[in-house]
Amino acid sequence: MKDIKITDPCYDEKARLLQLLSLVRDPELELNIVDLGLIYEIEIDKDKKLAEITMTLSTPACPAGDYIKGGVDLMAREACPGFEIRINLTFEPQWSADHISEAGRQELGW
Amino acid sequence: MEIAERHIPVKKTVLPYYLTAAACLVIISLMVLFTVKDFDGHFFQPHLLAITHLTVFGWGTMVILGASNQLMPVIADKKLYSERLPVAVFLFLVAGTCLLVHSFWSFELTWPIFVGAFSILTSLVLHSINIFVTVKRSSVKNIIIDFIMTAHLWLIVTALIGITLLFNFRFGFLPVDHLHYLKVHASIGMAGWFLLLIIGVSSRLVPMFLLSRKEVKIFLTIAYYLINAGLIFFLIEGMVLRSNNGYRWYISLIVAGILCYLFYIRQCYKSAIRKKIDSGMKVTFVAIGSICLPGIIMIAYLLHSRGAPVSMITAYGYSFFGGFITTLIMGQTFKTLPFIIWIHLTKPDRLQELQPKDLYNEHLVMLQLGLYLPGFLLFLSGILIHSPYLMYPGCVMMIVASVIYCAHSVHVVFHLKNERYKNY
Repeated sequence: MKDIKITDPCYDEKARLLQLLSLVRDPELELNIVDLGLIYEIEIDKDKKLAEITMTLSTPACPAGDYIKGGVDLMAREACPGFEIRINLTFEPQWSADHISEAGRQELGW
Repeated sequence: MEIAERHIPVKKTVLPYYLTAAACLVIISLMVLFTVKDFDGHFFQPHLLAITHLTVFGWGTMVILGASNQLMPVIADKKLYSERLPVAVFLFLVAGTCLLVHSFWSFELTWPIFVGAFSILTSLVLHSINIFVTVKRSSVKNIIIDFIMTAHLWLIVTALIGITLLFNFRFGFLPVDHLHYLKVHASIGMAGWFLLLIIGVSSRLVPMFLLSRKEVKIFLTIAYYLINAGLIFFLIEGMVLRSNNGYRWYISLIVAGILCYLFYIRQCYKSAIRKKIDSGMKVTFVAIGSICLPGIIMIAYLLHSRGAPVSMITAYGYSFFGGFITTLIMGQTFKTLPFIIWIHLTKPDRLQELQPKDLYNEHLVMLQLGLYLPGFLLFLSGILIHSPYLMYPGCVMMIVASVIYCAHSVHVVFHLKNERYKNY
């Protein structure tokens, strides 16, 4: 996930969404999905009232996939009430442990 | 893109296997207690045959089949071909194991043992068909799947040799000593079924749980070809040429393959982002390390200049099943079972406060290892030096560990019945 620029007109909304998304944890890897690097991109269009999240899973057949996606949807609705929520699941680029953030690595004892 | 709830198999394809295996582990521990003196004699006798087959089918294979029903859809990225077949497989396996073990225990080589053996063969063939078709319908092709598929082929070969041996017991038609074929049967089962399958599955799970950044898969590929080449040579020499001349070659090939696998695991650990490992993974690493023990005993046996004592063969088999296989399953149960239960407890449309780690007790897993491992080592030492004073206390420690394991597994599964968790 690229850093959200302070100059971004939707900075507040994106930061709040990211904060709420960090409450969703991958049950297998025991880390929140933001630090795990599963969130690739967040786009918010205030005019169209659309919040679009591009994300991945640790593996295409992740058994917890529905639960993670469900958690993302739930948090997005809370962060952006009244917005249409669109979740794009992609496996390009494929997730790897290199996507884990510095904070995530510290939590894992790296 | 569609994601994977459709890949989650129903409970009845997995949980009966785990619970039955846990109960079998307690029964095996008690059987060992009542047959301590038998471990001091020759390995080829009724009680040890009964215990070995209960360990293989009631414990090891039982839990592996259940776990593979859960894991194959993840590894192959495809829904299990049939969710009815695992129920039939389970029933055939339980019925067959009961008949086979009872017949060996009382050494009655009449119709029940043949019915039991064919019942087990049927269950293994049905399970293999389910796995093969699942993989065939999948677009995922990799060395891990090759390991798993090949292990199933060796499982069927092992079962066929076993049935041939049963008929030979009764009708005595094989050209050389029965013990010669028994060696082939046991070794193909240990290296072909258990070892290949465990290498395959752990090569997927270990880097996933450790969050490894580097997987040197070429070592897995080399391990695959070395171990299978060793097994094929061994099978041809054992069943067709009926000699022991090439044992140095195929043992070297298999040991070299195991070393490649251990190197792969070492690289996964070295590049792991997760350094704080939980109890399940600690037990798993102890188990992977303990794979060396049967290897050392085997090499010591082969190097023995003047006919090695038969207790070394008993110790070799016991260190494989009682050490490597049992410790590994004990550890991996509490990596996989809580997650399986969690999947069935939770609903995707709410934020999960409950996590798989909340469903089991880390301290109990470590206590179980703390009791089992010294108990196993005492028992193994007792076999090697013919000392019941080491074997009995070792046996008692293993019984306590197996009761803890069984009660803990039941506790994890019974979260499904707990009203408190129904709202998650």
